[in-house]
Amino acid sequence: MPAFDYKFQQLAPLKSFKSVPEDEQYLPGHRTCAGCGPALNYRLVAKAAGKDTIFIGPTGCMYVANASYLCTPYAVSWIHAQITNAGAVASGIEAAFKIAARKGRNSGPFPNIIVMAGDGGSVDIGLQAMSGMMYRGHKVLFICYDNESYANTGIQVSPMTPYGAATTFTPPGKEIPEGNTLFPKNAPQLVIGGHPAVKYVATTTIAHPLDLMNKVRKALSQPGPTFLHILCPCPKGWLFDEKLTPEMAKLAVETGMWSMYEWQNGTYKYTHVPKKYKPVSDYMKPQGRFAHLKPEHIAKMQAFVDEKIKQVQRPIPVAAAVPTKQLA
Amino acid sequence: MAKALPGYGTIVVPEDRVVPFGAVTPAPVGTQKLFQTSNWRVVRPVRDEEKCTKCLQCYLACPDACWIYKADGETLEWVGDFCKGCQVCIQACPEDGALVAVPELDFEGGVVRLEKPF
Amino acid sequence: MAKESMMTGCRAAAEGAKAAEVEVICSYPIRPYTAIMMELAKMVADGELNAEFIHGEGEHAQVSVVLGASAAGARAYTGSSGVGVTYAMELYSPMAGGRYPVQMTIADRTLDPPGDFGSEHTDAMSTRDQGWLLGWACSPQEVYDNTLMSYRIGEDHRVMLPQMVCQDGYFISHIPDKVILGEMSQVKEFLPPYRPIHPLSLTNPVSHGPQIRPDQGAPMDAMRAQTFLAIPKVIEEATADFARIFGRKYDPFVEQYKLADAEIAFFIMGAHSNTARAAVDRLRKEGVKVGMARLRWVRPWPTHQLAEALGHVKAVGVVETSTSYGGAMRGGNLIHELRASLYDLDDRPLVTSFMGGLGGETIWPADFDYMAGILSGMVKEKRTDRYVYWLGM
Repeated sequence: MPAFDYKFQQLAPLKSFKSVPEDEQYLPGHRTCAGCGPALNYRLVAKAAGKDTIFIGPTGCMYVANASYLCTPYAVSWIHAQITNAGAVASGIEAAFKIAARKGRNSGPFPNIIVMAGDGGSVDIGLQAMSGMMYRGHKVLFICYDNESYANTGIQVSPMTPYGAATTFTPPGKEIPEGNTLFPKNAPQLVIGGHPAVKYVATTTIAHPLDLMNKVRKALSQPGPTFLHILCPCPKGWLFDEKLTPEMAKLAVETGMWSMYEWQNGTYKYTHVPKKYKPVSDYMKPQGRFAHLKPEHIAKMQAFVDEKIKQVQRPIPVAAAVPTKQLA
Repeated sequence: MAKALPGYGTIVVPEDRVVPFGAVTPAPVGTQKLFQTSNWRVVRPVRDEEKCTKCLQCYLACPDACWIYKADGETLEWVGDFCKGCQVCIQACPEDGALVAVPELDFEGGVVRLEKPF
Repeated sequence: MAKESMMTGCRAAAEGAKAAEVEVICSYPIRPYTAIMMELAKMVADGELNAEFIHGEGEHAQVSVVLGASAAGARAYTGSSGVGVTYAMELYSPMAGGRYPVQMTIADRTLDPPGDFGSEHTDAMSTRDQGWLLGWACSPQEVYDNTLMSYRIGEDHRVMLPQMVCQDGYFISHIPDKVILGEMSQVKEFLPPYRPIHPLSLTNPVSHGPQIRPDQGAPMDAMRAQTFLAIPKVIEEATADFARIFGRKYDPFVEQYKLADAEIAFFIMGAHSNTARAAVDRLRKEGVKVGMARLRWVRPWPTHQLAEALGHVKAVGVVETSTSYGGAMRGGNLIHELRASLYDLDDRPLVTSFMGGLGGETIWPADFDYMAGILSGMVKEKRTDRYVYWLGM
């Protein structure tokens, strides 16, 4: 197929808080918890993306809490997807806009198509659809808003829940003192490791708003699929005072629980690397979900994080992405 | 031969119960007024114009977009219709005393729910 | 002059989709429908069809992809067989309730366990409560015709519902028969472009599917049911228009073959109706007053039309190529609704059923002789001895 100008948007990086677009695309008036990390994330992502955007919202907190009842806070077009299929629904929307452009039905810019999926909808029940979308090279930004649980159903364990976290499916007890015995999947590595058409992958948190918005804009300016893994602390699930939501994200970075990086064309770029990492206990103490842990459990977590930190020092090179079918 | 068979009847949905076709609703403009959450809070943030350096940390920390910044005039205004009183903005403020929590009932028209939402 | 060529049901479906200028196609391989997608892939690759051809990662993904595409304003097409149809089950209600008129072409296949490539209707029949239009063809020509008629009916603003266009695997999907394709001018006259009501757009932002309360769910269900009251008229209009433009006339709901003066009748759906017609002709020569009623639409079920067509018959034999384990008649899917359709008649027919063609095996002419014998016996005895007979067992 010959190259066609779909009028993909190019979004320039923002230099300061003052230059952030003023218009809100994620409007006030939603039933999210006070201090909700994922809600703040939605607001920042929507602001960064602008009005020529379509969101796909699989079932989760950012569906149910936002869209109740029979109303939504999205100033831009949005569609509900099943928790199983956000990647697939987004693929269909992207394809429809491509064929409409080729047939001369859309004169405006190609929409930013953004999936806003929770951890479950990204790497658990939604993994297959996400992978299919990445493989096929659709121009969609897939965002995993990571609150480290199935929060909307009342905090159950997900493949992103940290070792030792109490959830309603991993309650600590006599037989299982640590609560959650499993270590989480590595979502960005799943995407980077196996999908040659992926253009850009990055991690960030809601405590780094300018970094977050610029990574969104950079991802949206790529000609193919992109993935953002965003840490969104959840006061209700992690059991901390709601005003400390950004604090928890900062602590995650400062202790090495969360690494900040970008991956593009086979190259990693790490940022916000602490000169000296704080111990993981600094991160775990203020959160009630870790209150039951004994020193041996915290030591296990520290060992896990120490291995993660080694990745920062010597990132594993990955073969460069292949050109998408659109780059003739 | 074919006598009068039963029909399917009629289905009349009362006007006040009609839901939009295919559950498609128009996008809200400005704010989603159908879900005002101002009665969730017990405190509200109050900004000291003198101490505030307009760093805009509060502006980009609010999940409910309660701080409105306009570059034209460099104005920073708090709109309380949706503020849940989470205090993330107060916590994020780097200047001592520039943003403080004041009990909601200190204000005329201040509303507090008698029970916690969750 | 319209050209006639030999083609399989699979090719006929692909030709129908091509004539309808479908814009987003999502494929995934499973026997026996796969050839439909193979044909379309070639058409797209050769530039004969300007469409996005997307390799879904599974049937659940296929239906999800076309849902998104339809929501964004494209005419979308997908398909499957057997357990592929049941794998996508989660999406059927969201598709129908969201009012996205995509078309899913089904070449029936027996459900696992274990793998059986032969045709049974249970795959698509098991989705019949989900709110789609659902109908069966009995020839490759009818597959092509139903493809066009279903888009026309489904995309009508009085309907706006997805459609399953079904054909028996192997018997129709893989055995060639004579098909006349429409001219582009005929297709354009019959099938207008898809006009979505509130597509996902940048200029007119909308939210598709916000969470609702239970008291909002009840009216949502009621409004979907209201649509089904309106659909028969749309089906009649479209079928009449099809006859006018293409010159092929179908009874909108029930093909009635030598039924007018029949004393006994076969009630049947899909490929085996071809054998039934031949059996009716043969038995008539032997003096048996037998006819055939072939069901074309399962949803909406033509209750009154069936009562009208079969009301005068003394005994009806439902030929079932589907299973409904533990169902009221301990047999197949069709008998329950057929009996219900006839229940209120003054002098209602005796009704029994015959399980035939299960697993994809042939129903033989001799089987129809046997069935006719049973039905004639029922008329003589003036009673139904059994709800169900299993042919050959």
